[in-house]
Amino acid sequence: MTRPLRIAAVFFVPVVAWACYLFLLLPSVIVFPISFGTGGEFEFPPRALSLGLYQQFFTDAAWWGAMMQSLMIALMTALATTVLGLPAAYALQRARLSGAGLINGFIMGPLLVPVIVLGLGLYLQFAPWNLLNRDISLFLSHTMLAVPFMMISVGASLRHLDPTLENAALIMGASKPAIFFKVVLPQLKAGIAAGALFAFLISFDEVIVAYFVTGPETQTLPVKMYSAMRWELSPVIAAASTLVTVFSILLAIGIMMLQRKEEQR
Amino acid sequence: MNAQVKRPVAPSASSPLNKEQVLAHLAEPSTPNAAAGDAMIEVHGLSKLYNGVAALSDVTLSVGKGEFVTLLGPSGSGKSTLLNLISGMTTPTSGTILINGTDATTLPTNQRGLGMVFQNYALMPHMTVFQNIAFPLQVRKVGKDEIRQRVMDVLKLIQLEHVAARRPRELSGGQQQRISLARCIVYNPPLILMDEPLGALDKKLREGMQLEIKRLHADLGVTMLYVTHDQDEALTMSDRIVLMRGGKIEQQGTPETLYFKPETVFSADFIGSSNLFPGKLVEGECGLVLRCAAGTFEVPGAEGAFPAGSTAVLLVRPENIAVETPGDASGRQQIEATLKDTVVLGGIVRHFLETPAGEQIIAQELNQPNRSRLMRGDAVKVSWRVADGRLLPAERA
Repeated sequence: MTRPLRIAAVFFVPVVAWACYLFLLLPSVIVFPISFGTGGEFEFPPRALSLGLYQQFFTDAAWWGAMMQSLMIALMTALATTVLGLPAAYALQRARLSGAGLINGFIMGPLLVPVIVLGLGLYLQFAPWNLLNRDISLFLSHTMLAVPFMMISVGASLRHLDPTLENAALIMGASKPAIFFKVVLPQLKAGIAAGALFAFLISFDEVIVAYFVTGPETQTLPVKMYSAMRWELSPVIAAASTLVTVFSILLAIGIMMLQRKEEQR
Repeated sequence: MNAQVKRPVAPSASSPLNKEQVLAHLAEPSTPNAAAGDAMIEVHGLSKLYNGVAALSDVTLSVGKGEFVTLLGPSGSGKSTLLNLISGMTTPTSGTILINGTDATTLPTNQRGLGMVFQNYALMPHMTVFQNIAFPLQVRKVGKDEIRQRVMDVLKLIQLEHVAARRPRELSGGQQQRISLARCIVYNPPLILMDEPLGALDKKLREGMQLEIKRLHADLGVTMLYVTHDQDEALTMSDRIVLMRGGKIEQQGTPETLYFKPETVFSADFIGSSNLFPGKLVEGECGLVLRCAAGTFEVPGAEGAFPAGSTAVLLVRPENIAVETPGDASGRQQIEATLKDTVVLGGIVRHFLETPAGEQIIAQELNQPNRSRLMRGDAVKVSWRVADGRLLPAERA
């Protein structure tokens, strides 16, 4: 490499990288100071700091009710994703199924279909069954969206798992359920936890499908935020955004720590 | 040709149990099932096809109780397939497997009551050493106190009591393999299968472990079926070696039998190093002689197995070939050769020679302080006792 090129690499590349990073980050960061503002409109920078917007958020049932709804749906999605995705990932990896690739592609499908199309499809499917505006439709939709992430996470852990361990346990006389629960499951813990956090986060953040299948009584926080933007333009949304951002960052850090733990094995 | 010949269990000086087995075998040699009570494994006409290709074809083998049998062969010879069929990890295409007198051909792996030691140790990374060894006992619903007692007993036996609380990855390869052995012997399986257990260890450690496994075998009286591609390991450890090739048993017998009385060129070549002279048997002045590229050689008594006009291969082990004939040349076959190279391997010296016809000969002698030093390119006379040679049938094409 020539000298000018080297200088460019050392100084220019990090500058561009940081600029891009800030460009992506700033919109999320700017709501942070706004959320500590006062009064009934968006202010940047805020003239005085207060927790007023947070107070509004937690006292208005429309806001914190939506948050509780989001948390509950996300928790149920995480649980269902684990119960469905873990055995599916194990079966696809270990059992020599004919058509395993096809089944895998089918489960991974929601990753490839545009979410707006999924949302419309689910809306048209749930409408005649009278399932719109019900928790069950939201729960089913989010589980479908999140299962691929559980499969990917557990699949990665499974690939690290030496099949001779299961063979050794079998020769030692262990039954298949005992092998799954005592040999396989303990070694997949980190992968399962990461997958469950992913599922939780996907459900908690999801707005498009939720917008299609929820109604006034089953509104999640992202849907409430979206409609607040359109109809109310209340600055409480800044507090809501900050809460969602902080919560998501905490979960993401949790996932990263689990993945690092996995790599150290 | 001799792949399916059932041979009696060879005697071993180290174990009196084996002699009894031999006697039992010799008592009724014509009925294969007569020794069923004494056999740990009886395999009959066992075949395994993978996509129409035979990994194992029509193998019949009997392993006596308390015997240490090694399946030896190059990769793809079927030794691992045979082991996997006995462990139940794969199911045979045809044939039967009897383990300890009961038909195990279709018995699920976890009901066969076997022990197995793997090349990569197969210890559970999420369990401590203690928990690893306790695992097969927990599976058998042994009481807590008894588990503690038995685990500590086997740890004492392998002298690794101090690592009970550690995780496998904190141990060296040799220690891990000893833990894996301990996990096997803790539940007293009558038969222990070993799949190249020392393959991942370095040479020095491997030799130590060979002796440790032999000691455990002698102390516990357990039957061991050991798979390796390492001929030295097979020669060191086994009561009997089963040499495999292309999914069939090429030859079986004691290490001495396989070394000194190989029945095929493959056996001779696989175990130890060998000088092989392919040629044609012709009528000489006094009996048959072998006409080959390097000359016309006297052959040891061929016992009528090789008629005149047939092709055959003469085997002479390097240690039976002397460079420069000793004083008394009677009963020796002598030929001219040129010394190409001499390699000193510590206690032994290996000479690489070439006959005028271009055939390579290896001669080996013990290293002595006063041995005569030869120069590269020297013309020498090499010789061997005719009786030390062994006539083998020519390889099938």
